[in-house]
Amino acid sequence: MSADRQLLLFQVGARVFAAPAKDVRRVGGSLLEHPDDGVPDTALGRPWEARRGLVVDPGDGSERTVLVDGVLGLRAVAAVQALPAFAREVMATQALCGFALIDEVPTLVVDLPALVRERQRGPSAAGREERNDHG
Amino acid sequence: MAEHEQGSGARDPAPHGSAPGDPTADAWYFAVRLGEGRYAFDAPLVTEVVRLGPLTRLPAAPPFLPGVFTHRGEILPVLDLGELLLRRGTELEPGARAAVVQAGPWRVAVVADEIEGLLSVPRRRLEQPPPGHGASEFLRAVAVDGAEDLAILDMVRLVAAARARSVPS
Repeated sequence: MSADRQLLLFQVGARVFAAPAKDVRRVGGSLLEHPDDGVPDTALGRPWEARRGLVVDPGDGSERTVLVDGVLGLRAVAAVQALPAFAREVMATQALCGFALIDEVPTLVVDLPALVRERQRGPSAAGREERNDHG
Repeated sequence: MAEHEQGSGARDPAPHGSAPGDPTADAWYFAVRLGEGRYAFDAPLVTEVVRLGPLTRLPAAPPFLPGVFTHRGEILPVLDLGELLLRRGTELEPGARAAVVQAGPWRVAVVADEIEGLLSVPRRRLEQPPPGHGASEFLRAVAVDGAEDLAILDMVRLVAAARARSVPS
């Protein structure tokens, strides 16, 4: 995949992740207007302090806020490489869509709407659905 | 490098690593060490031996997949043979060696306590694996190479089983 080249870098715990910037409607603080819309615990792990929130549309027009520890800024990358096939098959989440080389380090690119949907349904169901979609 | 059918010859001591078309040739394998044990798999499955770069850990990954690394622009998943066979994770030192293996459709970088390399085994030394061996599910044969037993793994079957074990039911 190479369409999503503008990435938003964020941190959950000690790990740095990236997400296509177009998937993030806005960046908020940890104080939610609607606390029930917060998604604190995802396949990426539980944030330590949850100081920021990434507001995304999971695909149904609603807004959910993925809580993270920090937002590190935007980066443009030349390409996003797909996950290795074996890794994609054995992982308990299907919300990781690839890697971008950022400062020579492979950084995981996360499909945030899929991450939220997966959290709502449970990762196993999401994994099954994704695999069925691909035959 | 040759590709093998999934699960082929799982209990067949025939030397799949031997040179094709030459029934008298020794079988060629790629050997690794796990703890006190010595294991090997078909040499043609190994495309190269590389040194691990910085590992990117994956969230929600099974223990036998400690991460991925970049090698010449390719992102390779690391398969921990110790975790898979013995339920004991391999300590990955920076710059540790890994064997890049094409196991059926899957391309993985296999790590173990020690990567030894190629060896040939006279086919007369290949025997059926004894029942009760710790990795018997994935053994194709056993051989005596020097003073040590060598457990010959069906790597394609092993990788396929790891994948199947992880797919949500």
